[in-house]
Amino acid sequence: MNGENTRSKQLTRKDFLRYMAVIAGATVTAAQYTACLYKKDKYAHIGGSIYGASAALGHRLRNGGFDTPQVTEHADVVIAGSGIAGLSAARVLQQHGVGNFKILELEPHTGGNAAYGQNAYSAYPLGAHYLPLPNLDNQPLLALLQEAGILTGFNEAGLPFYNETDLCFDPEERLFIHNRWQEGLVPQFGVSERSRSEIRRFFALAEQLRWQKGKDGLYAFDIPVNNSSKDPQYLQLDSISMQEYLRQQEFVSEELLWYLDYCCRDDYGAGLSIISAWAGLHYFASRKGRAANAESSQVLTWPQGNGRLVQHLQQFSKGKINTHCLVYKVTPKGNQVLVDYFEAATNQTKRIIAKHCILATPQFVTQRLLPAGSYDHDFTYSPWLVANITLDYLPEAHGLPLCWDNVIYKGRSLGYVNAQQQRLAQKAPAKQVITYYLPLDHLPPAASRQYALGLAHPHWVKLITDDLEQAHPGIHTLIKNIDVWVWGHGMIRPHTGFITGPARMAALESGYPHIFFAHSDLSGISVFEEAFYHGNRAAQAVLSAIA
Amino acid sequence: MEILLLLSVFVIATCGLIYELVAGTLASYLLGDSVTQFSTIIGAYLFSMGIGAYLSRFFRKHLLSWFIQLEILVGLIGGISSALLFLLFEQAASFRIILYLLVGLTGVLVGLELPLLMNILKGRYVFRDLVSRVFTFDYIGALLASIVFPLLLVPYLGLIRTSCCFGMLNVVVAMLLCIKFRQEIKWARYLQIKSVAVILLLTGIFAWANKIMSFSEGLAYRDPVIFSHSSPYQRIVLTRSRTDLRLYLNGNLQFSSRDEYRYHEALVHPVMRYAPGHAHVLILGGGDGMAAREILKYRDVEQVTLVDLDPAMTRLFRENALLTKLNSNSLNSPKLKVINADAFQWLRQNHTRYDIAIVDFPDPGNFAVGKLYTTAFYRQLRHSLYNSSVMVIQATSPLVAPKAFWCVDATLYAAGYHTLPYHTYVPSFGEWGYVMASPEMLVPCRPWLPAGLRYFAPAVFPQMCMFTADMDKRKVQANHLNNQVLVQYFEDEWGKYQE
Repeated sequence: MNGENTRSKQLTRKDFLRYMAVIAGATVTAAQYTACLYKKDKYAHIGGSIYGASAALGHRLRNGGFDTPQVTEHADVVIAGSGIAGLSAARVLQQHGVGNFKILELEPHTGGNAAYGQNAYSAYPLGAHYLPLPNLDNQPLLALLQEAGILTGFNEAGLPFYNETDLCFDPEERLFIHNRWQEGLVPQFGVSERSRSEIRRFFALAEQLRWQKGKDGLYAFDIPVNNSSKDPQYLQLDSISMQEYLRQQEFVSEELLWYLDYCCRDDYGAGLSIISAWAGLHYFASRKGRAANAESSQVLTWPQGNGRLVQHLQQFSKGKINTHCLVYKVTPKGNQVLVDYFEAATNQTKRIIAKHCILATPQFVTQRLLPAGSYDHDFTYSPWLVANITLDYLPEAHGLPLCWDNVIYKGRSLGYVNAQQQRLAQKAPAKQVITYYLPLDHLPPAASRQYALGLAHPHWVKLITDDLEQAHPGIHTLIKNIDVWVWGHGMIRPHTGFITGPARMAALESGYPHIFFAHSDLSGISVFEEAFYHGNRAAQAVLSAIA
Repeated sequence: MEILLLLSVFVIATCGLIYELVAGTLASYLLGDSVTQFSTIIGAYLFSMGIGAYLSRFFRKHLLSWFIQLEILVGLIGGISSALLFLLFEQAASFRIILYLLVGLTGVLVGLELPLLMNILKGRYVFRDLVSRVFTFDYIGALLASIVFPLLLVPYLGLIRTSCCFGMLNVVVAMLLCIKFRQEIKWARYLQIKSVAVILLLTGIFAWANKIMSFSEGLAYRDPVIFSHSSPYQRIVLTRSRTDLRLYLNGNLQFSSRDEYRYHEALVHPVMRYAPGHAHVLILGGGDGMAAREILKYRDVEQVTLVDLDPAMTRLFRENALLTKLNSNSLNSPKLKVINADAFQWLRQNHTRYDIAIVDFPDPGNFAVGKLYTTAFYRQLRHSLYNSSVMVIQATSPLVAPKAFWCVDATLYAAGYHTLPYHTYVPSFGEWGYVMASPEMLVPCRPWLPAGLRYFAPAVFPQMCMFTADMDKRKVQANHLNNQVLVQYFEDEWGKYQE
């Protein structure tokens, strides 16, 4: 600065930097002040509570210390657990004239993963919320749906008609990607042609696998899992992860890999690197359902989710379900089974002397009930969070309006489902209720479980609302209430090697003549169809033992 | 005092970019296609700045005064720009011309600012320092603008208020300069008064921003609005010119008093001719009472049940003298019973059967209304009909939206009805379609018509049933709750038509 013009000296470099700093500082302060204005206790108005499995009562199983039973009862069959497997078993027993049975349930309600809740505005699921169109050879399931009035008949070609109000209403699915809600969950909007062609290649592959059969004449992938081909050509897919499989098949598209990871997390609560290729492909290739009045990809759904099916199933167990009862010991004794349980309501321990016992409980419980039972830790369970959110309305955004299933591309969660999708009314509901799903797979299951059980309600609110804000800026002002359900052992996780592994094979039979296992974890895949299958299977075993 | 001038560089730069962003955003809001809008707006704006820069050479004397003058003008034009554009959007025949004129004018003025300011400052700095300082502040200002605009301004202030704010900022700079340099400049007093006036104007616009938005909405109608009401279900608007009274629901024309008789006679009288019984008639929708008016012309009609969602509609058409004249006071007829309920819900719990059903819902433009055109709905409706009952459904325009029209026909067929599609010409709507349907074969059985009809006559009906090639039957899917194809057909076809 060698100025002939002396006036320029009034602004030296130092001054200049100082002014710059002031301007920068003022800008940052102003921005922060404004941000704070909106951030201060931004979510404080959001109410709600934490619910979930009755962990306190459940953990007494691990810690023991029960008195010897003071009361003794008798029954032909005892069913421990009133999830889909337990209720399905009860239905078959009742239908075959074996009415002297009792169901013991730890929770205050029935339904297991298909349980549901309700608030002033809508019923909502606490877990499983839909049923894909059943495969046409799954006769027991078709019969169940017909019995429940969901399937109304068949056309000349033998394709089922479903009740139109039970099929998911259009619009079904949307994905928030590149700041826009596109139709469908497979990324399309703003996706490169290379990625699109990879996506097409993957779906062509899945379609091919869907109809492939092994040397034993069975479908490579079928529902129930036990009906799938045992051909090693397919079973070997269980020995590598889905991620490894995709790498071998040279799938590299970011969008495709995200989508497949999303699907694995959605169905199994864990991502591509953990889930086996067999299970990952099963998701796409096992469903062969068709209908006279719906596309094969469509689903059956209800405001209360699969609670609709629970309501139907439990009609067969009227007056025979004892809730809040913890079965803590099951002892085979000659031709009988002694079932010891703790009744929380009366604080009493009781014993049922039964001819047969169905343990419709997950393996980590089942093995603790039996003498010398040992829980094989190959049975891994994914922790989950399900939240029901009540809000004024969902703000409109670019693209497709609110759908049944709404997913945010690369979001933390699996998005949310509109519990009120099946409304027929013209008027918008007084309050919107959406069900938000988050697999807690950021840590290994045990650590994640511990983390989740320790988190306070405001933390969940922040986590969930922050996630939703990505797609709906300002949505927190509309949210009134978030009820949170933490499921520590949400669902069985078909990690690499599990489906074909020895642990699952061993657990298919109890090893005792009068004790039968029934649970979806015996399939390695936590879906309604599998639980239903294992319930029926156990009930049939009881029936043939009686005969 | 150089600081004050450099500060004004900073403000100018921020404001300049904000105006550009406001114009781009507004154009993409109002005209759609944001990529095109943004790039053409930015191009036009930058080009105009170039013109401004060129023009700066003609300013030789009183530079500071001119600069202040310029700031006030930029503040005024930039500040009112978005309010102006919102207001003009509905009215202007060629909105784009106005938009680009405004963008151009702002660009020229903003383009003048910096060169002028550099000329003012050139005596006070070495050239090298001058250029470096001015541009530094210029670009910092631009950065600030580009960050706060999407994050704070648009979400919390809105476009109209944002441009007002920055207009005021421009004028504040002008005022400060006025005060600081009052000895050096000409017309100081005049400039001060002017800037106060502009600030007042902008404050006014800021305060009335919401009113401006709704006023511009009101301009969407071609005639003066004589009534408007937002019920929980819809926005009801009545407009009136010397010869015409029009009803709009959510902005969609429902009838024009000049030709509604064509629509309603074609809706009601064919079904009355085909129905063997007239005693009990059900109207779903039709809260304006016009269809009821036609039905009540038949003396053998014993009872009419009208199910309309919105109590505000039925009340209006029952109480307003202008409207009761139009519907011949049909809603107050002792034969007519009004039920305010959701048609789908109401049908699910109804146990009465009707001889005739008139289904006159709004067009299936969204997924909610689309549910009232599904197989599930028509199957539900079947429980409220006899085998011999006949119904008619308004089914949008077979000329504009042939797929949507034939989809209604296909849906009724899929739900187990015999159908008879027909159409007529209603000048205010265009070519309009209806589908008559019955569980049994459709056979005309009543030759008698009430006196005084202005349009419908048995002789014209065969012609109404003829479809020319441009609206003839298309191969379409039936509309189910789980596919809602009708909404897609409707949106595609009407969307194309309106382009």
